Amino acid sequence: MSTLGTAIDSLTAAMKCNILPNQEYLLQGSVLDQYVEVLLHRLRGLCDNVDSGPETFNDHELCYSLRINSANAPCILPLRVRRALDVTDAPFQLRYVGQPELGDKNRPTVVRSSIDMACSSTILEFLNELGCRLDFEYISRGYMFRKGRMKVTVSKIFKMNGMSNKPSEGVEAISQSYLVELSVQAPLGQDAIAEDMRIFAEQLRPLVQLEKIDYKRLGNMMS
Amino acid sequence: MGVTILAQFPVENKTGPQIIEVLSKRICALGATPQGQFLVDCETFTSVPALGHQRTVHVLHNSEQPATVFALLETGTKTIPLVTDGLFDLLIMKMISFYQSKKHTKTESKGPRFEIGDFSVKLGTVNITSNFKGILVEVEYKPCVVPAMCWDLIMEFMQGFLGSSGPTAPPAFLQNRMQEIYSPIDTIQQYLEHFTIFRKSTGPTMVMRPQQP
Repeated sequence: MSTLGTAIDSLTAAMKCNILPNQEYLLQGSVLDQYVEVLLHRLRGLCDNVDSGPETFNDHELCYSLRINSANAPCILPLRVRRALDVTDAPFQLRYVGQPELGDKNRPTVVRSSIDMACSSTILEFLNELGCRLDFEYISRGYMFRKGRMKVTVSKIFKMNGMSNKPSEGVEAISQSYLVELSVQAPLGQDAIAEDMRIFAEQLRPLVQLEKIDYKRLGNMMS
Repeated sequence: MGVTILAQFPVENKTGPQIIEVLSKRICALGATPQGQFLVDCETFTSVPALGHQRTVHVLHNSEQPATVFALLETGTKTIPLVTDGLFDLLIMKMISFYQSKKHTKTESKGPRFEIGDFSVKLGTVNITSNFKGILVEVEYKPCVVPAMCWDLIMEFMQGFLGSSGPTAPPAFLQNRMQEIYSPIDTIQQYLEHFTIFRKSTGPTMVMRPQQP
């Protein structure tokens, strides 16, 4: 009888074979409220879930960070928790998202490391007691489409008015537009998928322009 | 998934393999059939001083729930359980600057498992960083999920093959939760309770002793 290997052994083996989906390929854009119907119509035609229609979601996202403020090298680990407000028995999602890499002009999408896992609802208390700080939170409502391995979300972001215990009440849209995201979670080095994403994004022009968003540049524009 | 009771079996001048053999024979004599192996492991991480007061995270795996990772966070005043999936192990590696693996605390209980009617029985040899520490016997009664409803039955069954070494009272962790619905994290909490005791003890030295002529 073969002896059992530990969970860490199987994880290490999975890492070696490069089958862990620990990278996210991402393109982002936005569309004004008055044109969102046109975009949804277009996506309905392009995507896989034609008969069932798009899946709707109403999620509460909490963004935490674990940080140590040492003088020379501050250490920050961002962590996000997402929970469905419309499906109360769904597991919470915990997510680590690394720094986005833009790469050069030839790379079609942003690539960032990403670890995504389902977890129990105790995660909020767990993170608080772990030493994490809640940086901000928001509500994201919208539609999700699939095209092969690609995921398209069209969502509206709402500000919470300090009502953490009743996240659906007193919310306020932060803009008159919808956020559009095209993403794929894949193991390291599957760059072919980025090309598929570029081609798909082309098909949505000029309704929405999905691009590699450089957050550093956005930060400079605001300051 | 039913109710699981975990109990320590005294070592008394025997080696781990000897006890496992004796218990295996007894349980098979009752009509049990061997059903492979099991493994429960635990690694402990402590917060770095820069993160403020010390906290401890225990990360456990159970081969009965192979796609799940269990984490227990001890803050000093309370314990927060977390049930999550396999990638949590990857995340804890990312936390290396905040939480570091405590040296020489890797603990595991592994051994044969048996099925006998509605029960499953696991005979675990506990090792801390490859040093033999003791024996843990796990019994699960599968048809029931409320400990209070089946405790007497499990106790009687355990005494049937463990003799007077069988438990006579529910595990400390379960005592306040006898009426609640049992779930896999409760088994993990029991393992952690025993592992913590084993880590504090200097442990049996029987295996180290020279063999009697």
